Amino acid sequence: MDSPTYGKIQQTSDRHAPEVSKQTGFPSAATHYMEMPIDLHKELAIHKDATFYIRVDGDQWKQHRIFHNDVLIVDRSLQSRFGDLGLVVQDGEFKAMRIGFGEEEEYVLWGIITYIIHYAR
Amino acid sequence: MIAMVDCNSFYASCEQVFRPDLWGKPVVVLSNNDGCVIAANKEAKQLTHIPMFEAVYKIKHILEKNKVTFFSSNYTLYGEMSQRVMNILGTFSPNVEVYSIDEAFLDVDGMAHLDLRAYGFRIKEKIFRYTGLPVGVGIAPTKVLAKLANRLAKKQEGHDQVYIMDTEEKRLAALQWAKIGDIWGIGRNHVRRLNAIGIYKAIDFVKLPLAWVRKEMTVVGERLWRELRGEPCLEFTTVPKPKKAIGTAKSFGQKLPDLERIEEACAYYISEVAEVLRAQKSCATYVQVFIVTNYHSKVDKQYSKSKTVKMPIPTNDTFALISEARKALHHIYKPGYRYKKVGVNLTGIIPQEYVQGNLFQQLPETSKKELIRTFDRLNIKFGKSSVASGMIGTRIEEWELIKRERSPRYTTQWRELLKIGRSG
Ligand SMILES: [Mg+2]
Repeated sequence: MDSPTYGKIQQTSDRHAPEVSKQTGFPSAATHYMEMPIDLHKELAIHKDATFYIRVDGDQWKQHRIFHNDVLIVDRSLQSRFGDLGLVVQDGEFKAMRIGFGEEEEYVLWGIITYIIHYAR
Repeated sequence: MIAMVDCNSFYASCEQVFRPDLWGKPVVVLSNNDGCVIAANKEAKQLTHIPMFEAVYKIKHILEKNKVTFFSSNYTLYGEMSQRVMNILGTFSPNVEVYSIDEAFLDVDGMAHLDLRAYGFRIKEKIFRYTGLPVGVGIAPTKVLAKLANRLAKKQEGHDQVYIMDTEEKRLAALQWAKIGDIWGIGRNHVRRLNAIGIYKAIDFVKLPLAWVRKEMTVVGERLWRELRGEPCLEFTTVPKPKKAIGTAKSFGQKLPDLERIEEACAYYISEVAEVLRAQKSCATYVQVFIVTNYHSKVDKQYSKSKTVKMPIPTNDTFALISEARKALHHIYKPGYRYKKVGVNLTGIIPQEYVQGNLFQQLPETSKKELIRTFDRLNIKFGKSSVASGMIGTRIEEWELIKRERSPRYTTQWRELLKIGRSG
């Protein structure tokens, strides 16, 4: 929205120039090797718009190595493959199950479990 | 061609994604402080006796009798889910105009080589697969027609939520089907005026002479008239307009008559809207404060008043805004009433870089700016209003919506993740 009543003054933007040595005027050697630190969300949530984190209460899925208080990373964008660990809905309830086993039961696939975050301490 | 994508009962659908026990069941969402029904899903709407925008305490018995599940609005969740939908739409067209939290226009002009119906279905299916949210898709030559095509996709049987208005016959059939009030942009007043001269259907409206439309409905009506005839007039704006006003008003959980408590609530709302202001890098020139008594009550005396004050310099500083708002509040507050609601509005919103200090008023010094920025960061990290200006007091819970029925912020708070298994 333009507002003619206020004179436009540009604020100086935060300086984001690479660090330059005050003595020599040359950039520090490390500057060229700077990278962003690892971001787990970026690494583990491949399809970020389809990924949800879900916490598990209880040990009822320990046969799938899913334990109490684990956090599941669930990707809804993936097509299921035989043997995938699926988060499914059965009778209005969430359930973890191996896709392709026990197919006689009816279920709706909610998403594919891609990682299980387990607190090891 | 233009596509209009609109989520079905968006708020209720967001809740249902995480609650499979509610799939296929009636769900309504209530406004802040559980005031009124603001959204209902298809199943709830079929119980036609749920009046929208009705105060919930008046219809609680209806909701309970029909086993309707109700939620307080969870804008954090809805906003994050909306962002996902818009990101996905970005994979379908380079030009996406986000029209509201659950609607967007897509420029589909480069897609003429595609089978548009298949394209519409791909949009619908991808959004559902990624997010669990159902959408309808309408594709037509203009925005107003795309909006109408979207309505057809949802309301007429057999389209399966996707409707492509790609022929003249289909356009005419749609105009024949649509009531004048169904047309996007035609408000209640115009419906009344048009009905008065015997115009009920959209098809009758487009047959009116342009001169009449221009004279009676101004250039706005003319654009609608042209768009309905298939002539694009509304431009495509992919850059969101900066908000011209930002405000918030909420009811108190219980009626709170005393000034001190109203002051605290007011300060709290200011801190909320100032946060929005800083997030969009703008400043407010005016702050308006208003107070209202409970107009639902038949026994209480009624009073309402508002006051607008000009800020010494346009600002987004929470502390400066609170102090001016407080003066305004003192001006309008009268003891002896049972106030139900206090609200604040910031207007005269201008980009932050346009703000100039004047001789008498210094721009906020950097340290204070730093402080405010930290304050915003902490609020993002720990959830809204965990950090607040001293004046806000410790009784935030009283006005911070009645959160009893609010669902967890499943997608933004690590401590509120969806829990499944034993408890689920
Ligand atoms: Mg909608």
